[in-house]
Amino acid sequence: MPSVSTQITWIVVGYAVLVALLALMTAVRKQERPGWLDQLAWMLEALLVVRALAGLGAFSGDGPPSTSTYVGYLIASVCVLPIAMKSIEGDRASWSAGVITVAAVAVGVIAVRLEMTA
Amino acid sequence: MSDATSTTPRSGPHQVLLAFYALFTLAAGARSLVQLTTQYDEAPVAYWLSLAAAVTYALGWYAIREASVGRTGFASVMLWIELGGVLTVGTLSLAVREWFPDASVWSDYGIGYGFVPAVLPIAGLIWLRRQQRSHAVG
Repeated sequence: MPSVSTQITWIVVGYAVLVALLALMTAVRKQERPGWLDQLAWMLEALLVVRALAGLGAFSGDGPPSTSTYVGYLIASVCVLPIAMKSIEGDRASWSAGVITVAAVAVGVIAVRLEMTA
Repeated sequence: MSDATSTTPRSGPHQVLLAFYALFTLAAGARSLVQLTTQYDEAPVAYWLSLAAAVTYALGWYAIREASVGRTGFASVMLWIELGGVLTVGTLSLAVREWFPDASVWSDYGIGYGFVPAVLPIAGLIWLRRQQRSHAVG
């Protein structure tokens, strides 16, 4: 059975794909960014924080093969989405949903890389 | 402040470009710094080129931000430099394999990043052309 952090990773990846697709649909349809999309994005951030906390367990024992790479991914995984949300604060236009698409795809990729370097 | 600057909408496709450039500045910068400091001897050329890519993305981010408010001069230079870098490094990585025992960000035209590094400057140049047209008309 996969470890807890691995299971959380796949939940994060699946959820990130969902958020990215919904945000992309909003952008493509040129709709104003709905409030629920922000809520989904912040839910994704909460999952990423849980994944990062679970990822701290990798430091018990021998630790990850490349500590600096692992720590870099760990920090990036929780920082990308808040920075993206801050950059579109107060802007509800459809292109702002495109920024969420990019950020959600990025954190999904980071979560996979985090798992690979653990 | 010029008229062009004051009438430029805050929202637009440049926001997505800026998000990509910020991400690639972070990704290429962190990757190159880790590699240069922990495994320099393995592939110094590739690692320095990754750092150059990170600097290019940071300048590209600034250039697009400036272009979004009507100052397109720097972006029209920077995006061509970036495209030239991706094509040059991508071609060299295929033609002179021994220079790249480890990959750089632009190796094989950015295959390690889903070819986004090759698409990004082209998308930027298309947006810039439209931006220049809209300011010429407006």
